[in-house]
Amino acid sequence: MKKTVGYLGRTFITFLQTLSSLYYLFRETVAQTIVLLTDSKKRKQARIWSQVDEIGTHSLPLVLTVAALLGIAITVLISFQLKGVGSFSYIPGFVAVAVFREIGPLITALIIAGRVGAAFTARIGTMKVTEEILALETMAINPVRFLVVQRFIGMMVALPALTILAGFTAVSSGFLFGSTRLGIGPDAYLRETVEALQLTDIYSGIVKAAVFAVVIVMIGCYRGLVVEGGAEEVGKATMLSVVSSSLAIITLDTLMTAAFYG
Amino acid sequence: MIRASDIRKTYGNRTVLDGVTFEADRKKITYIFGTSGGGKSTLLKILIGALKPDAGEVYFGDRDIAKLRAEELDEFRKKIGMLFQHGALLNSLSVGENIALPIREHTVLEDAIIKIMVKMKLELVGLRDFEDLLPVQLSGGMQKRVALARALALDPEVVFFDEPTSGLDPIVASVITKLIADLNRLLGITCIVVTHAVEEAMRIADKIIILYRGKVLAEGTPQQIRESKNPLVQQFITGNPDGPISFHASSKDFREDLLLG
Repeated sequence: MKKTVGYLGRTFITFLQTLSSLYYLFRETVAQTIVLLTDSKKRKQARIWSQVDEIGTHSLPLVLTVAALLGIAITVLISFQLKGVGSFSYIPGFVAVAVFREIGPLITALIIAGRVGAAFTARIGTMKVTEEILALETMAINPVRFLVVQRFIGMMVALPALTILAGFTAVSSGFLFGSTRLGIGPDAYLRETVEALQLTDIYSGIVKAAVFAVVIVMIGCYRGLVVEGGAEEVGKATMLSVVSSSLAIITLDTLMTAAFYG
Repeated sequence: MIRASDIRKTYGNRTVLDGVTFEADRKKITYIFGTSGGGKSTLLKILIGALKPDAGEVYFGDRDIAKLRAEELDEFRKKIGMLFQHGALLNSLSVGENIALPIREHTVLEDAIIKIMVKMKLELVGLRDFEDLLPVQLSGGMQKRVALARALALDPEVVFFDEPTSGLDPIVASVITKLIADLNRLLGITCIVVTHAVEEAMRIADKIIILYRGKVLAEGTPQQIRESKNPLVQQFITGNPDGPISFHASSKDFREDLLLG
């Protein structure tokens, strides 16, 4: 019993310490982002667009495929539930709202946490163990500005964009399935979708995506920056990065959904 | 130039540095050597301000490095260069970009001028044609030379070397040692070298400091070190496996350990 309490206590303290470190990293990242955005020479060096490309364009096939499949899955699921009631006309609205409010932002963020957040940790963690980060510090180059800021800006641009594209893809695949297999007329489908969907649904999706972008970059980079040791620790940090950012994303998603619509 | 006084550092219950005091003179080559795991790298990290000592001061000129504010530390770091044990080149950047990095960061020079400077630095280490390659395409020795060119990018007053010749073949090791000597004699750069390679230290050092169990065991010119009567010092420079410095790092008695588990 004593041991369990001790373990829980230590875990809780570690959790609080991590939160406080993440806060400091976030503060420094925002400060350094301002430095970078106001200095044209540094902005040019930072290669922000290549980060947007790396996070956004390269993830596009995966995100859109998953979104298209999910769009169909949700449509099938809802149609199955509504079969007994016989009111298929609700399907377009349900799908659109569910996708833009909840599933689009959540699934996109989880995919990007696994694909890109993990890569951030592995990359920065390897740089830490090979002393590249110490080398940057020794050259009086701020590692946060050099490594975190470009990823932060890239993610803040790419993730909301991916989320919106994923939303439209899922709705489109639902539309194709609904209008071809469920016998809902294309005109009626589109009309129902537009009627059900409000601008707030899209906005809230973007707000969620922006919050998830911060979470993925901060956890991904932080886990890399604190690696000590060798290859095994980099592997562990990468795993921890994906686990903790996924958990954080789902927790924040629930809180935000409750806050927006509760 | 650099004066360390009574530096102490402990990791958990292991004391790595236990009151290290020494001075490295301006425009001289100072070699610090000791056994592996004897606190050399820790000392080096303290000297460059990457690690804070638990106690003691490190003076660069008249400023205590451990007490500098972030911006002052950056100013200090622009005056020093550091060659890391494994080079620590940024693997995503080409050789030329690695060397250009500190110049771009801290000067307002045009790209064309930076390009010329990069070529000059690479010429200094004999690798002028390699600027477009990535670090992984180079051998270990070449990577170290590129890392040295990067350390020299901002014309530092002091360059720190962490095991500059470890893991290199004898010829490349001699090339690096000669480079260190040339930097000092021709450019007047103060060199502080941490190593366990005794021969190279004896050849080019102005001053040698031997660390043992976290303390300075001996200090002096190569000649003075060679003539030292201290058996510990003699074992260091001859590399004799039998002597007062034990090969066993364990503190427990072997017999007791086996019998009592």
